[in-house]
Amino acid sequence: MPRFDEYTGEHLIPPYRVLDLTDRRAAFCGRLLADYGADVVKVEPPTGDRSRTLGPYPADAPDAERSLDFLFYNTNKRSITLDLETETGQGLFRRLAADADVVIESYDRRYLADRGIGYDDLKVDNPGLVMASVTPFGSNGEWADYAGDDLVVMAASGYMQITGEPDEPPVRQGNEHSHYPGAQYAAVGILAALYYRDFADGGVGQHIDVSSQEALITYYTDAHPALLWRKLGQNVTRVGTNSTLVIPLGAYPCKDGWIAAGVITPREWDALAEWIHEVTGNDEVLNEAYRGGNQDRAEHIDIITALFLEFAENFTVQELFHEGQRRNLVFLPVNEVADLLADPQLAESGFWYDIEHGEETIGTIKYPLGIFHSEEVSARRRPAPALGADNAAVYRGELGLTAEELAALQMDGVI
Amino acid sequence: MTGPHARTPSALAGIRVVEFGPYVALPLTGRILGSLGAEVIKVETNKVLDEMSFIPAWSRGAGQPEYQRGKRRITLDVRTEAGRDLLLEMVRISDVFMTNFRRNVLDRWGIDFPEIRKQRPDAIIMWQTGLGGHGPYYTYKSFGILVQHLSGVSLMTGLPDEPPGVVNTSYSDYHTGVFQPAGIIAALMRRNLTGKTATLESSIFKSGVATGGPALLDYQVNGRGPQRRGNRDAWAVPHNVYPCAGEDRYIAIAVSDDEQWLRLRKAMGDPEWAASAEYETRLGRRRNEDALDAGIAEWTRRHESLALMENLQTAGVPAGMVSQGRDLDENAHLKSREFYQDTQYWEAERGVKATEWTEGESVSWSIPAKMSETPIPFGKYSNIGEDNAYVFGQLLGMPDGAIERLEEAGVIY
Repeated sequence: MPRFDEYTGEHLIPPYRVLDLTDRRAAFCGRLLADYGADVVKVEPPTGDRSRTLGPYPADAPDAERSLDFLFYNTNKRSITLDLETETGQGLFRRLAADADVVIESYDRRYLADRGIGYDDLKVDNPGLVMASVTPFGSNGEWADYAGDDLVVMAASGYMQITGEPDEPPVRQGNEHSHYPGAQYAAVGILAALYYRDFADGGVGQHIDVSSQEALITYYTDAHPALLWRKLGQNVTRVGTNSTLVIPLGAYPCKDGWIAAGVITPREWDALAEWIHEVTGNDEVLNEAYRGGNQDRAEHIDIITALFLEFAENFTVQELFHEGQRRNLVFLPVNEVADLLADPQLAESGFWYDIEHGEETIGTIKYPLGIFHSEEVSARRRPAPALGADNAAVYRGELGLTAEELAALQMDGVI
Repeated sequence: MTGPHARTPSALAGIRVVEFGPYVALPLTGRILGSLGAEVIKVETNKVLDEMSFIPAWSRGAGQPEYQRGKRRITLDVRTEAGRDLLLEMVRISDVFMTNFRRNVLDRWGIDFPEIRKQRPDAIIMWQTGLGGHGPYYTYKSFGILVQHLSGVSLMTGLPDEPPGVVNTSYSDYHTGVFQPAGIIAALMRRNLTGKTATLESSIFKSGVATGGPALLDYQVNGRGPQRRGNRDAWAVPHNVYPCAGEDRYIAIAVSDDEQWLRLRKAMGDPEWAASAEYETRLGRRRNEDALDAGIAEWTRRHESLALMENLQTAGVPAGMVSQGRDLDENAHLKSREFYQDTQYWEAERGVKATEWTEGESVSWSIPAKMSETPIPFGKYSNIGEDNAYVFGQLLGMPDGAIERLEEAGVIY
């Protein structure tokens, strides 16, 4: 069992030392560990993580310290700079890894090994090291050397095949969704490996190989394309904003935006039909032919959709949401970011964490860190680090370099 | 441990989890913990079967073989006094209790969290909610596919002025299902180090919003809503999906620098239109993005998506076919990684006891994390109630006669 003298359990994860070599495609893994208590040190090239060169920026003015992309994916991490292309840099990384609990990386699969700092190299000095590699297609197999960003992974996983309108090309989910599944599975694997090493009989570390493609395939199991093909010879495809199978199910325009509604059981339909009748007075909605489960309504989709739209246009999103729920119907607002920041449920459930960036910069910003609400533990609230902010603390304070040595390395561009 | 449930070595050996609740996220959490070596006891009853079993795709074997494997499945009607007592007895010998029932339901059954704590003071409790267990929406109902709207993701997808862009799946059920095991394992570490326990409340809503990305900051800093860019990118260009030969076939191509553009140009056979010096810089390509996309599409539509993807990747251009079911099922890469595995399943039939459902063959995925020292097994898939004898007999030490009597009384049912 490790000794964490300072750890009192304020945060969920003990302060394990994590070296984070990932780019934005897997940075969420280290963020999750950092938010909940791990000491995550982001190891950036001297020019900075690529994410720092990407917008959006405050007032659209490019600034490596204020990329909102970087700020989002790197809360609660520390930052050091290191040039892994140089032998000196590789040597320093080996020394850092010898004392680390975890390394997370998302390089092309041979990059680190070619530089003598792959898992097999690092474990020699540190058999307890847990190392996770998150790559588009995993560490082995025919496609292991293939490159990909969010769009490529979304396509190859088949996730895009079911995103968008049926008669239009597949669409990328706009939140760069492929960044999450692999990162989340890597975080689970890392924690399990640490548990095994320190709290079970394991005693040793291990390597964890995560394919973002595979992880994303598991995030739409409802549609299960391989199964549908094998058993029925069909290919899954896009259903669009509104389902054509279950009615109503989807998003519908109303007075001031969109309302999402899902009516499935016979009881829910009866409650909705009664409400529509109250509002529109249209007797057609009470037609016996529409009653029953959602399969029974499928052939009447056009008329039912028209009835629903005629009804919905009388209300605002919030009116439909709360009155629908009062009538025990699954009505939900289609939210914009502004709505989320104003949402009373999120506000009351400890979801947003105010993080101070300093008044001279962007002030206090809300971050979505409260994934778990708890009276016993909280997330941390440090902003993403400035480039190399922790060089002195890590290289001098922890690795024991002298001021002269650090200055020389900085002069040489290694740090 | 020996027999079909033996896993050596496994990361979470010695941890016992009581899983109490249906649908997607909670059972997925149980499967992950079970695959990592925890002994997960899933409590359910033939009297109220998981509604997911009856959704068309799921009755054919989707979902259940993914989410229910690697755990011990018992039948118990907790609405009976004897059933409730047995559940609490299980809690006494377990490290983790996780449920997705609503507060009023748990209260009615006398399985509230103070009672759980009384039975097992150091239990880790994971309470999975839809919109939140406290606060203004705590009684509200939701379900997976609609939470992509609630969490803001659908209005980030597609193009401005289009309807919300929808993915046809239970969006953040999956995020929740994978956040939870991380929280539980961390809470177990924390308990070991500090002696402190924890109750963690998750929600499908919050898990969805957590994936909102930099757009959540952009609004606060710059006052603007999500930028809906369709398949285009703020940086990379060309960056889109293009039609391929065949019906509903596409390929994604994502060129992030000038060198990749030159490689793509060469792969296309250096067509005259692409030779323009304007295209050699990112900004030039951005200025002419419509023409560029049209030119690329003209070329891609003459090719099969799989071959095109492999040719482009070999040439150093990031590209991915938009995979369909057959592509995934027959994919050589996924086969060499043993991602999909054959599995049995039980065809759900309303009004028939689940233990009498017809068994069939299906295909299922393995957990997408390959661990070198504690390999994650595909895991055994028990049917409902299959592990009653093990749990009630071996773990709780009930004699055979007592189990039979409770079966007849509809408690173990």
